Amino acid sequence: MKRIATIFFLLVLVMSLSLPTMASVPGELLIWSDGERAPVLAGVAKEFVIEYGITVRIQELPFGDIRDNLAIVAPTGEGPDIIVGAHDWLGQLITDGLIEPIELADESAFLQSGLDAFTWGGKYYGIPYAIEAIGLIYNKDLAGDEGPETFEELIELGKELREEGKYALVMPQPDPYHTFPFFSILGGYVFGLDADGVLDPLDVGLANDGAVEGFEFFEYLLDERILARATPYDTMMSLFQNGNAAGMITGPWAFGDVRSAGINYGFKQIPSYQGQYGRPFLGAQGFMVSSFSENKMLANLFLNEFVATKDTMLAIYEGDPRPTAFLPAADIINEDPDMRGVMESAAEGIPMPAIPAMNAVWTAWSDALELVINEQSAPRPAIENAVQLIIQTIKDSGY
Amino acid sequence: MGKMIKYMILGILNVAFLWVALFLLSSQAYFVFVLLLLGALLANLVFLAPKGYPYRYLLPAAFFMVVMVVYPIVYTVYISVTNYGTGNILHKEQVIAQLEDRYVLEPDAEDYAFQAYRDDRGDLWLLFTDSRGERLLGYRGQLTSLQEQDPLLEQLADFAELTRVDLVRATNELSGQSFAYDHTHELRMRNINSFSVYLQQYSYDRENDALIESETGTIYTPVGGYFQDPDGTRLTPGFRAVVGINNFRRLFGNPQITGPFVRVFIWTIQWALLSVATTFVVGLFLAILLNDPYLRLRKVYRSLLILPYAIPAFISALIWRGLFNTELGVINQILQATIGSSVPWLQDPLWAKVALVILNLWLGFPYMMIICLGALQSIGAEMYEAAVVDGASSWQQFRHITVPLLMVSVAPLLVSSFAFNFNNFSVIYLLTRGRPPIVGAQTPAGHTDILISYTYRLAFESGRGIDYGLASSVTLVIFLITGAITFFNFRFTGALEDVNKNV
Amino acid sequence: MYRKHSFFRALWRHVTLLLFVVFALFPILWVISASFNPANTLVGQSLVPRSISLDNYRQVFTSEQYPIALWIKNSILIGLVTSALVVVMTSLAAYAFSRFRFRGRREGLFASLMVQVFPQMLAAVSIYLLVLSVGKIMPALGINTHAGLIMVYLGGAMGVNAWLMKGYFDTIPTSLEESAMIDGASPFQAYYMIILPLARPILAVIFLLQFIGTYSEFILASVLISSSEKYTLAVGLQLFIHDQYASRWGVFSAASVLGALPIVLLFMFLQKYLVSGLTSGAVKG
Repeated sequence: MKRIATIFFLLVLVMSLSLPTMASVPGELLIWSDGERAPVLAGVAKEFVIEYGITVRIQELPFGDIRDNLAIVAPTGEGPDIIVGAHDWLGQLITDGLIEPIELADESAFLQSGLDAFTWGGKYYGIPYAIEAIGLIYNKDLAGDEGPETFEELIELGKELREEGKYALVMPQPDPYHTFPFFSILGGYVFGLDADGVLDPLDVGLANDGAVEGFEFFEYLLDERILARATPYDTMMSLFQNGNAAGMITGPWAFGDVRSAGINYGFKQIPSYQGQYGRPFLGAQGFMVSSFSENKMLANLFLNEFVATKDTMLAIYEGDPRPTAFLPAADIINEDPDMRGVMESAAEGIPMPAIPAMNAVWTAWSDALELVINEQSAPRPAIENAVQLIIQTIKDSGY
Repeated sequence: MGKMIKYMILGILNVAFLWVALFLLSSQAYFVFVLLLLGALLANLVFLAPKGYPYRYLLPAAFFMVVMVVYPIVYTVYISVTNYGTGNILHKEQVIAQLEDRYVLEPDAEDYAFQAYRDDRGDLWLLFTDSRGERLLGYRGQLTSLQEQDPLLEQLADFAELTRVDLVRATNELSGQSFAYDHTHELRMRNINSFSVYLQQYSYDRENDALIESETGTIYTPVGGYFQDPDGTRLTPGFRAVVGINNFRRLFGNPQITGPFVRVFIWTIQWALLSVATTFVVGLFLAILLNDPYLRLRKVYRSLLILPYAIPAFISALIWRGLFNTELGVINQILQATIGSSVPWLQDPLWAKVALVILNLWLGFPYMMIICLGALQSIGAEMYEAAVVDGASSWQQFRHITVPLLMVSVAPLLVSSFAFNFNNFSVIYLLTRGRPPIVGAQTPAGHTDILISYTYRLAFESGRGIDYGLASSVTLVIFLITGAITFFNFRFTGALEDVNKNV
Repeated sequence: MYRKHSFFRALWRHVTLLLFVVFALFPILWVISASFNPANTLVGQSLVPRSISLDNYRQVFTSEQYPIALWIKNSILIGLVTSALVVVMTSLAAYAFSRFRFRGRREGLFASLMVQVFPQMLAAVSIYLLVLSVGKIMPALGINTHAGLIMVYLGGAMGVNAWLMKGYFDTIPTSLEESAMIDGASPFQAYYMIILPLARPILAVIFLLQFIGTYSEFILASVLISSSEKYTLAVGLQLFIHDQYASRWGVFSAASVLGALPIVLLFMFLQKYLVSGLTSGAVKG
């Protein structure tokens, strides 16, 4: 019996000595960041400690997990004060009640399109640090120093290149995000605006005449072997890296891979067709404040005074080059021709819809693309059917 | 000695129970407390009653199974009758707290700059100054207008003025301060430099369970997971609410959802059968070859053959997707070079299915191989020796000794492997995502969608975002189907029967 | 069943096995190629990269942001502890299922498999909430602890493993235990001193399967573990695939190759148990 008593005692001791876990604490900031931003934020955190003696902890998560985990973790009180994220999360995060409006100390320091992307119901929900849009990355050795300005030029180039088994153009397929410019080029859109200027989830413009004509043009490029068929992102990238493609429609995230392959490249906006430029989706990334933060005011202060600064924004740029949404840093960053190209492309961009109904769009749209890419359907019936399905799905979920 | 151990284990268990029980009582979780009490009773019974002896062996595994596997099932059942999903993830109290904490900035109200002082007792005194130089003193929620050279100012001079660093460090304390400005408005912190006049947007009336908008007096009552006004305008966020069998009704009442069921179901069965058959046949075949003591290099072969199992599935699936690429994939390049034609792997419904089976075979045969290698050890060599004496051929030995004895331990595994593949979402998702799509489809189901991946599309690509409630109800339906099939399989294979009758 | 081979018998065996080795290794060669390729592609046009560099491996070992060596250590630790506990728990349960007759035996066996058939779509959400509340009582088992994660993994100990083990125990004749019990051994001693040594192959199999399963699990681990120094390798690798378009395939492949090594080593170590089970004559039924 004596031994049993000893064990009782030890057990109680062990339990009471157990360490406390990591949780969001008042008076201390916790940031959920992706890998690219984490080292920069860690540096800023050090400055914050020196200045105010307030600890800022950085927890690194895969970019997409930040949104998904927030919905599980934040309501339990274990979540972060600040998150890094994309503007198109706004709809979901706000209807979930997970993020708070932010008070910007100086609105004029930000690019208007970046601010617009983070605006919801007339309030700012994020401090943008970068904007992005896809464009044309071209191989100067194949497409010339200036690159093709119009699709008409690109087609001529493609007819020469296909003789050598090369392509004028590659892009990820099936991928609605990258294919949207073909839809928008002659007047297609995802969601129209209602009378109040708010996105109307039941007005889907992906199968209007302009959209269909653009989609048919996409099919023509595939049929003529101007555009390589059915290439997923990795395959597309390796075609371009190996010099088998003159142009590649994608975004600033590809620069690193292109550079490491030693391609002499340039970046410009997507070529025009019939005199119209294809408008890509505009995306913005920024910092948001959790509704379950115990330190909302402190989080605002940290963001306004330590993150929205030229030094931090430049450091963020250095870590992962994307065009900045912070004007005081823009002059330096835009000296880089890549960034200038992305900015030009983004200037034509349409903010990617941030409403939750967008969830119902991607797969149906992607299926329509795939049917056309696989030559199993003509563009018009494929996309008309997809739009019908999208509207039905959105109606079913209660709009 | 045995008794000693027994009592020690029981003692530890009871201390743990006691510990948790006390905590549950103090946090008023009475339901869980009762459950725990029942569990504790059971554990003691098992240890003290002689009849409970066999159960002692089961206790550790059963405990963790109940906690970690059964609990999620119960949770799923609960979610299936709620509207949990995008827009409705918070609890009602959290939503009320969040809405009550919303303050609107008065449109033309002005900002007050402030200085903060701390008296000897640690209380904060705030000195506000508006743009015309008018000054107010805030202390414990009250505001006092100050005259020129007010005596209170001299009093402030005795207190410690907070520097900027102090202010930042006291942000939480400051933002918690609120001063009655007039009957409805409050002076609250706007940012580190100023306070401003705010109006609380909603206040909660506990008695009537309603939120009242301060400005308009509109009353919002909780309906189906949202606070809504009489016109049906909803406040966001919504909250988690029990909606009964609503999700099941949506599931069975929607032809868009039930329409492709039969087609998807047939492929799901085919997929599960093919997966089990291919991996098992290859795994067993290799195990038998590799179990041969006379085979040279067999350790090398074995180590090489388990490699597919050692690489993360999501990276190997990506590689395979590249290999299967119709135009540029290596498989087609090899086919072109050898037989002069290529295969539309991921575009053609049939070939996409073949590709899936090949990938799953690659991913799964090492598992079956390891299991068969282990299970083959239970067959003693003397069995074969006797058979050889009787003049049995290799095939006869395999047919009459290896297979029956192997099946004793492996049959239940095949049944469970069937069930696993029936719901093997990840392979489908990683390689085809249910594609290729069906021409003219009126439902979001592709050619290679199995039940679970189809469900995923319904629940995670809904028009409102993610719909966990719907996902849970479909999960339960799929569980019933899988469970029924598993049960049938068990009866069919006799896996539940005992071969060893001599116990 | 096995006898010495003639030349041709040996030849066809080796040819067959080589074919399967090619099938097994073919995709893996791409991973290895990508790990030496500075161009950071996963599905290159050619298997042999145009230039070879050790940069990706260097990054694996030197990156402060991604302490991959530490993650591998965490994974090995969690894998070993989980597998050992699972083997103990499962063999106990399987022994009872195989050797005792008690009420609820068949139902228990069946139920243990049925619950594993349940599609675990919401498991991550519910288990997070569960571990969170466990952590409020016992912080050492809460969120962001390896102990908590191991506890969650133990939930899967029953089910398939218990079945596999029970099936194996069923094929071990009871005569040895019976004679031991006549000599005064308790059932527990029979289990410990007779059954376990005879069942070594299946213990090794279950240890290995559990280890691989634990080692590569990342859904629960990524929800439950929140600080970088406690990540498992599988969770850490997820960081590399952090978004669809800008993945660091080179480093990722290098880490995958290194991460696969412990599994291969463990397998090589366990091989001798895997195939040296019942020596002829040890048991006579």
